[in-house]
Amino acid sequence: MEKITNQIPKNISISAFLGEKESLRVRLLSQAVSLALFILLWRRMSLYYNNQLLLPTPGSTFTAFIGLFGDPEIWENLLLTLERVLKGFACALLIGAPIGLLMGSSKIAMYMFDPLLGCIRQVPLMAWIPLSIIWFGLGNGPTIFMIALAGIFAVVLNTVAGVRNISPDYYHAARSMGAGTWCIFLRVVLPCALPDILGGARLALGSGWMAVICAEFIATSAGFGFSMVEAQTRMETEKLLALMVLGALVGYTMDKCVCAIGNRLTRWK
Amino acid sequence: MIKLKVDHIRKTFSRNGEEQIVLEDVSFSVDEGRFVSILGPSGCGKTTLLSILAGFQRATGGSITLGDRKVSGPGPDRGFVFQNYALFPWMTVRENVMFPMKRQRIPKDQRERTFARLIGIAQLEGRENFYPKELSGGMKQRTAFIRALAGQPEILLMDEPMGAVDFQMRQKLQEELESLWLKERITVIMVTHDVDEAVYLSDRVIVLSARRGCIMDDSPIDLPRPRDRDDQHYEGHKARLSAQLRMAFRES
Repeated sequence: MEKITNQIPKNISISAFLGEKESLRVRLLSQAVSLALFILLWRRMSLYYNNQLLLPTPGSTFTAFIGLFGDPEIWENLLLTLERVLKGFACALLIGAPIGLLMGSSKIAMYMFDPLLGCIRQVPLMAWIPLSIIWFGLGNGPTIFMIALAGIFAVVLNTVAGVRNISPDYYHAARSMGAGTWCIFLRVVLPCALPDILGGARLALGSGWMAVICAEFIATSAGFGFSMVEAQTRMETEKLLALMVLGALVGYTMDKCVCAIGNRLTRWK
Repeated sequence: MIKLKVDHIRKTFSRNGEEQIVLEDVSFSVDEGRFVSILGPSGCGKTTLLSILAGFQRATGGSITLGDRKVSGPGPDRGFVFQNYALFPWMTVRENVMFPMKRQRIPKDQRERTFARLIGIAQLEGRENFYPKELSGGMKQRTAFIRALAGQPEILLMDEPMGAVDFQMRQKLQEELESLWLKERITVIMVTHDVDEAVYLSDRVIVLSARRGCIMDDSPIDLPRPRDRDDQHYEGHKARLSAQLRMAFRES
């Protein structure tokens, strides 16, 4: 799994010639253009196929989207799903980060965990669903398990990379100033690896959000994914599309929140 | 009075079962309050020697005595200034400089007094809450220097502290470092490959040979401070050490 950073590379050709205000305007304009093109294409296709069941128009999807806001059942399901995502995400972080810190700091821990995790990681995520139902029944159990599982490897691998990239000079400096092992862990290893841990957390939340919808298709009778299955069985394709749009927006907002928290925690970078 | 005694230090490591000698047999001693440079071509083992003095690496043989104690492992009695400063980027100037004092459980009011004094001599007033990324090269160096002093070490070890800057900046930093040192007068051992830097800053220069890392030359620089880089005697010391260094290099 690749590491991601929270920085967007500056477009040199734009920022070199334009001021801050102009470059913001250019950015917003290009985003608006690409969105408009996408919607136009969608509209063209749906008019061409002329079948609301197959591909509803952007207009009817938008009406359905507005309709979602008046539907308390949707909100209940969305909140339930968000709760599951946060619980699963917390599990991934609270289990994954310590394992990663341990593997990054100790060779023995690395030898012990690395092959095991490397193998388990190769089991396709969806293949865990039947087993998780056997273990946890239906409802919250299997979904939270799936979210945690989807995210934990990203957290572990990023944390390991973060710890291993710490310059030996920092350890030497800390030791020569009289710091003990525990102090080095708290004051050097943890803050230094934090940006990478947060990068892993961001990936984990993203994959958790994807995993939960899939898990809810199968292993539960409530939740956001369940709402989608329901829309599909009732042949309300425009509602299904509206839910997909809502899902994308919620995921995007969560990602931005993690980024914002991360930037706040690593202002020194 | 002798502050540091380096006694028959030897460092070897084995590569593919073959023993490689980094330092053959290095002995010297340094008087209290002296600024001593270890000059040598790259690969002569000078950084290894400094690492051994700091306790980051173990010597294969020999001993190091600081004051009246044998040295083994890193400790706050030896301050270290790293080539790229190794300031903790997640800590502010204040947190960086406070770090060694907190580790040694120096009482809070004494800590504050020392901090104020050090910030004063480094002319970093008003930058206490800056992160290292917000500092210029010179400010970083001064922060690294006072951080190393904050733990009240008996000796300061510096690994090419001007290694990462351009020529103009280098001279300016050397002058700043000298004025800081003149205010504190601590025993310093600095590793460098730059002849001008060694002559400008040191009371004494030890030249290491590239082959088998042993001492080729050990001589004082008895010029008044601050030194005039255009002075005839200054030039003379430079010419002599440059010739030594060329010879040291040719041996390899």
